[in-house]
Amino acid sequence: MNNLLTPVKAAILDIKDETPDVRTYTIGADAEKFKNFQPGQFNMVGAPGVGEAPISLSSLVEDGGSFQHTIRSVGRVTQYLEKFKRGDEIFIRGPYGRPWPIEAARGGDLLLVGGGLGLAPLRPVVHAVLKERKSFGGVTLAYGARDPLNIICGDEFSHWQESIQILLTVDEVPKGTEWAHATGLVTELLDETKIKPAEATAFICGPEIMMRFVARRLLLEGISPARLYVSLERRMKCGIGQCGHCQHGSAFVCKDGPVFLYREISRFPDGLL
Amino acid sequence: MTGEHAFQKYRITKESFRLLVDSLMGELRVVGPVSEGGQIFFHEISSAEELQMNYPSTMEPPSKTFFYRPQEELLIFERGKNISVKEIPPLEEKILALGVHPCDMHAILYLDKVFHEDPYYMARRDNTILVALNCTEVSEHCFCSSVGTGPHLKVEAGYDMLLTDVGEFYLAEPKTERGAALTQGVRPARVDELLLKDEEEKQLLKDIQKQIDVKGLDACFLENIGHPVWARTSDERCLSCGNCVMVCPTCFCHDVVDETEMSLKTTRRLRRWDTCQDLHFAGVHGGNFRRTRAARLRQFVTHKLDYTPQFGATGTVGCGRCIRWCPTAIDLTEMAKEIQRSPLK
Ligand SMILES: Cc1cc2nc3c(=O)[nH]c(=O)nc-3n(C[C@H](O)[C@H](O)[C@H](O)COP(=O)(O)OP(=O)(O)OC[C@H]3O[C@@H](n4cnc5c(N)ncnc54)[C@H](O)[C@@H]3O)c2cc1C
Ligand code: SF4
Repeated sequence: MNNLLTPVKAAILDIKDETPDVRTYTIGADAEKFKNFQPGQFNMVGAPGVGEAPISLSSLVEDGGSFQHTIRSVGRVTQYLEKFKRGDEIFIRGPYGRPWPIEAARGGDLLLVGGGLGLAPLRPVVHAVLKERKSFGGVTLAYGARDPLNIICGDEFSHWQESIQILLTVDEVPKGTEWAHATGLVTELLDETKIKPAEATAFICGPEIMMRFVARRLLLEGISPARLYVSLERRMKCGIGQCGHCQHGSAFVCKDGPVFLYREISRFPDGLL
Repeated sequence: MTGEHAFQKYRITKESFRLLVDSLMGELRVVGPVSEGGQIFFHEISSAEELQMNYPSTMEPPSKTFFYRPQEELLIFERGKNISVKEIPPLEEKILALGVHPCDMHAILYLDKVFHEDPYYMARRDNTILVALNCTEVSEHCFCSSVGTGPHLKVEAGYDMLLTDVGEFYLAEPKTERGAALTQGVRPARVDELLLKDEEEKQLLKDIQKQIDVKGLDACFLENIGHPVWARTSDERCLSCGNCVMVCPTCFCHDVVDETEMSLKTTRRLRRWDTCQDLHFAGVHGGNFRRTRAARLRQFVTHKLDYTPQFGATGTVGCGRCIRWCPTAIDLTEMAKEIQRSPLK
């Protein structure tokens, strides 16, 4: 019987700075193991002696098998990873979790709403849409960040904008910073989408309180509860439904999620949905 | 582990049982209930004389004594020129486990669902001959009959033999070939002897004081997330000590930690029991999903009495250990009953 907790070695092929504390790592690993890595799923990423943290897939898997993780340094594992350089080795295992139901969204309108680092798991959805733009209807990405400095994937927006609608907002604009878009809450951006929620599928990822307001607003505007998805973050130690840390109500966020229909989990206690 | 066909039922005198156990001593490690300092523990024995088969309940549940250990080494990382990762082969140690009560047997079946893909748990499981023992007495904390786990064991698979003490002898019911091998040389039980078992069970059922109606509790709890019983009980009495979780035979939550040797040459990755009563359990960057003690106590109680969807079985087996070992005697059944009596509107 295999030890499911055994990680495999992976190489850091490239590192890109996104913001002062967020980096995107291009990872090369056992191509066979990760070839079915889907947007919305995650890996346990770590280093010996430091530990592991769940990190979402932030790109599609390339033909050669490489893929990306976008990581913010906030604690033990992620601050350690921050010191890594191109060519260094990390240990990963996965992929884990339920992906975004991109197939189910095909043929209709798609609304993507991201907050902060919550854009990272939505980025491969955008990439998937761009690859087969014609099989989707209207597509809007509404993205909110703390301030212009903390925007991730900013260099891709102009390219994305050629195919989908991009709406941006920040909480605040520090003095001396240029900002041509909105300030305020992500929910306010939704006024400008060309998509009618009643006919759309929505994927939301960001701070739970933001997902709450967005989800409730979309429901008021008539989105079908069967097409309203969120991705949750919880503490995780194993990723395979054993350590119990990620339990939210009766759900294990690691294997029943992290992507859920909003209605599957909104009644559970100890969340902000 | 599962028996494909129905086995005979046997009558085995207590003296023959002791002789049988002693005869197995060389081949296997034999572990059973023994008394130490007024408490019962599952310990290895060197003679059947040490067994205290007629025991109320242990503090450490057999599911944890035998299979889900407080700490488990999962991996070793070795640092040479490169870092390599080595798996640790599971211990191949044959054990005969004697006298596991029905509720505790159900707890093992529950943990089987959690750890069925874990090589360490499963190796122990496969290498342990489990002899279950129907209860002969109940305590004030037992509520097994309310959740269908006791006082007599009704499941047919997942263990090797079931014993029922009917006074002068045991009724022995093998469930596997391994179990049947233990009954060689004893005679099958007669019909009148088999009937004694039902008599025993009827009597025991009358003795059980604690009852709870778990039907509909899942929906009821969701409607009573803000019920005052959570905050009141936790503010007035809960110490967040985690005893309830440690003694619980079905609590499976754990941490995964790395320990590096002083030489820095090796790092061991371990699994170690954790508790949802600890403040840090549900902490993430920028927040904590169960910051209040009330939320943490609610998590324990609802995970035990509800959450059937997780593994198709309730989290509690009605052993009552969390009540017995809580320093302030918090009783999850009483909390649930208060909600059932006076739910939020
Ligand atoms: C499915 C999923 C996908 C994710 N995807 C990404 C992603 O793509 N990119 C990304 O950057 N992050 C992602 N995260 C979040 C990331 O996994 C967490 O931030 C993780 O905790 C980082 O691990 P760490 O060891 O660096 O931090 P930790 O050391 O675990 O610290 C995280 C936070 O918890 C606090 N903390 C640490 N220990 C304790 C304790 N004992 N008690 C209370 N608080 C404590 C720290 O102060 C810090 O604020 C994802 C999470 C999930 C569940
Ligand atoms: S044993 Fe009792 S006091 Fe301790 S955490 Fe559990 S309920 Fe609270």
